[in-house]
Amino acid sequence: MDLDQRAGFSSDLQPLRSFLPTLLPVLGKKGDWYPSIWFERKSNRSMSVNLKQTQVSDSFSSGVVLRIYDGYTLHEQASDDLEPSRLRQLAEEFAARVQGAKIHAQAISRPYPCPSWRERLKQVTEKEILDQIGSLPAANQEVHFGVRFQKDPRGLTVEEATVELKALLKRILAIASEEGLPAQELSYALARYSLAEEESLFIDSSVNISQTLLRVAVTLVTMSGANRSIHRVGGLGGVESLAVHDSEILEMISDLKALKNAQRLAPGKYRVLFGPELSGVIAHEAFGHAQEGDTCARGRSRAWELHQSGEKVGNQNATIVNNPAIFKNADRNHAAWGSYYFDEEGWFSSEQVLLKEGVLQSPMTNLTSALRLGVPRTSNGKRETWANGVYTRQTNTYFSPGPYTLADLMKKLGDGFVATQAAGGMEDPKGMGIQVGLGWLREVKDGALTGRVFRGAAGGDIQLTGYVPDVLNSIVAKSKIEAESEAPDTARFPLNDSGGCGKYHKEFVNAGCGGPWMLLENVTLG
Amino acid sequence: MANWDLEALKASLRQQTEVKDWVVVQDSVRRCERYFLSESGNLATDQDRDSRQLSVSARIFVKLAGKLGRQGEIQKRFIQSRPLEPQVRAAVESALLTDHQAWSLPAKPASPLPELQSFDPAIAEDIHGAMNKLTGKIHQALAQTSGAQFNSSELFVSLHERELHYSTGFVHRAKQTRVYGEAAFSAQGRGISDEYLETRWSVMGDDLPIAEIFTEASKRAQMMLEVKKPATANLAVLVDSEVLLTLFNGHLSQLSGANRYHDLPHLKLGEPLIPSAYGDLITLSLDPSLEGGADTVAVSGDGTPQMKRVLVKENCVVDLMLDQQHAQYLGEKASVCRGSVVVEPGTRSKAELLSAAPRVLEILQFSGLFADEHSGTFSSEIRLAILHDRETGTSTPIKGGSLSGSINENFRGLGLSKEVVKRSHFESGSPAGSGYHGPAWALLSDVSITG
Repeated sequence: MDLDQRAGFSSDLQPLRSFLPTLLPVLGKKGDWYPSIWFERKSNRSMSVNLKQTQVSDSFSSGVVLRIYDGYTLHEQASDDLEPSRLRQLAEEFAARVQGAKIHAQAISRPYPCPSWRERLKQVTEKEILDQIGSLPAANQEVHFGVRFQKDPRGLTVEEATVELKALLKRILAIASEEGLPAQELSYALARYSLAEEESLFIDSSVNISQTLLRVAVTLVTMSGANRSIHRVGGLGGVESLAVHDSEILEMISDLKALKNAQRLAPGKYRVLFGPELSGVIAHEAFGHAQEGDTCARGRSRAWELHQSGEKVGNQNATIVNNPAIFKNADRNHAAWGSYYFDEEGWFSSEQVLLKEGVLQSPMTNLTSALRLGVPRTSNGKRETWANGVYTRQTNTYFSPGPYTLADLMKKLGDGFVATQAAGGMEDPKGMGIQVGLGWLREVKDGALTGRVFRGAAGGDIQLTGYVPDVLNSIVAKSKIEAESEAPDTARFPLNDSGGCGKYHKEFVNAGCGGPWMLLENVTLG
Repeated sequence: MANWDLEALKASLRQQTEVKDWVVVQDSVRRCERYFLSESGNLATDQDRDSRQLSVSARIFVKLAGKLGRQGEIQKRFIQSRPLEPQVRAAVESALLTDHQAWSLPAKPASPLPELQSFDPAIAEDIHGAMNKLTGKIHQALAQTSGAQFNSSELFVSLHERELHYSTGFVHRAKQTRVYGEAAFSAQGRGISDEYLETRWSVMGDDLPIAEIFTEASKRAQMMLEVKKPATANLAVLVDSEVLLTLFNGHLSQLSGANRYHDLPHLKLGEPLIPSAYGDLITLSLDPSLEGGADTVAVSGDGTPQMKRVLVKENCVVDLMLDQQHAQYLGEKASVCRGSVVVEPGTRSKAELLSAAPRVLEILQFSGLFADEHSGTFSSEIRLAILHDRETGTSTPIKGGSLSGSINENFRGLGLSKEVVKRSHFESGSPAGSGYHGPAWALLSDVSITG
């Protein structure tokens, strides 16, 4: 499929884009300050159809973040009042407040000179980014990055979307009926479409860069009593990213049916083949969060000590990558959910290996954590919205692929379980524990599914727990990217599904979640 | 630049012939945040931020020609820098494509609504001053805390002001303040290092126990060095108010009119909240008037005055949470749908609950408690716990493994403490918080623990 269009920068934002650089002298009134500006505008539309209602909602958020890094602290003043004279006044008041801020006598100064275009592009290899820049831009030259698509989701009317969703709901009901799940047993069904147009700008004395991301998703939910089965497709791209195949609905209905007769798993150690979404959660919770530079700078991660000592924390299969520059998600025609061209502090995206065959590499960073740790900046400065603070956050985090097909892995599994449904997770960067929630397990005997399904000891989710190095040493084998084919992979990156991430218990951001299929042994489940 | 104001939006909505009813909401949020960390033993500020936000949204209800008993509806954010009329027309056109069972907003309340203590006046008056005062408390708490190593702390203070304008002519204004504090301490020894993060939300600045957050995080970080993994077993488990806040607020959905209307799992009047209960019987209210509660509101979003109602009396469901829309759908009278969960205390002290079984696992913190409101099941890794063994007289710190529970099964032999606490929790972006006022601890029976 030819993705022949790119999302442009909205022309109504151009006056603001031209005005904001005039605030930099105010924000940089002291020569050793590093001033910068972040602006974002997010328009979201959500439509849903369930058995009783058709709904629509539109939300919108836009705001500017004025930033001064004074060598000690990153100060931010954020506002959604974009009127130029009031923004200028706010910038002046803000700069005066920063100038008056007390600096502790023993505070360590870490000045930051504004990096040039050349310095920013040093780590960038992704053609999709470089092609949109062209030749090295002059300082302050406006450069735009836009996600590629075939059919513009912004052109999809409420009427068209509603018709599509109603048709999808009908397909769910028809397939449920064909599969022996009568209407009275399908107590709830919902099809939801969501589109977010996310536009952002980053400006400092070297760059004036913008990006437009189109985030689309379709979510299907079916319930029978308290049992629930969910399917979601989507990514950054056009309407073409949203195709839902009958086989996917069939799998969702089969799962729901099986859950009605689920057995309870006895707590213990098991051999489990994890699907892409769950291998992604394991990567994310193991040495995703622990490799967040701000967590390291706060003294809250063992990964920083282990990186410096070089101690091994996993076997040769334990290679974890974070990559915000996935603009073709596996073999799909859209970018991965956690992708962008630059982060919310204006740093360009590039692939980063966090753990290489069990050995920890340099962490991901945002601006202040890179300075505090003395490591390179990476493109991981993210925030929940413009009204929230910036942290080091993950983008698309996954295990590197292996050589096996899914059929090979099922054979290697022998007797055990297959897990494909994620149900949350939690990090423990200092204590090196891990929690990964599994919705349910499918039983496998002699490499074949038995049709039996298991839930947790109390009938709910199952929790995988353990010590991260033990879990990473228990990886037996990984699949190739195109796991169902014996032919060599053509895709460069594993599939990263649409997911979200909190930092401990708050600050929710979008994150890709995926990777290869992965076989682990001796996994503690309860 | 604002092109229009609330009055213009209301006037425009009144002029739309298809519009039946509307609720216009203006939200103003002011937030201050500071992120602290340890730098050469001193408290350094890594980030210091301030943000201001003003937004206008509306819920618009439209008549659907030729569809008796049905109506359209949209929830839409309006952008004040853009012309008003095209936004209103687009909203109405979109609403006309939706399809809901018809219902109507309630009449304007006949009597004045009570003044509620939903915000901290000191924060509302001077948010920077309040931030500085709390920052001072952090400096003081850090100076007074010893034992473990301080890693970091975060402090958030925000003021949320909301105006609700209804097509019935009713106008309501409310304020809420939110305060968040956290502290992370780590300890190391015998080749082990680990940390403890303590987090707390409150509505009033003085309700955020900063000194306690610091001392508890430090003490528990040191305890982390003594931990053992649990053995796989079914045990009596003591959980605290943070867990009870999550479980009760989630389980309330089964008492809601929305669940009943959509045929999602729900309980009916007269049914037991906990089937076959034999322990302390739960009496639970929803209280929207709780002083400093996380969801203290005089009216719900649909304009229905809110008053405390007992929903469960001695384990029997006696009332439901019925918002105006679903009450009308179900042919019932609207009742309470907002407020903090209030649970009547038990008669036993924490010490008595701990000695109520031969071995009790006291959960100090879950790693990530995930609760399914539909099934009532919940599970988590154990971040820190203490195994109290009455026979050996020992108390052993525990970390790791997981717990799997179910409200329907593990609350049967419930024991509620006589000590009570008030807790709050807020999710950013959500207009309502989750509040809990009730027993500080509860003893659950026969819970599956995986070592």
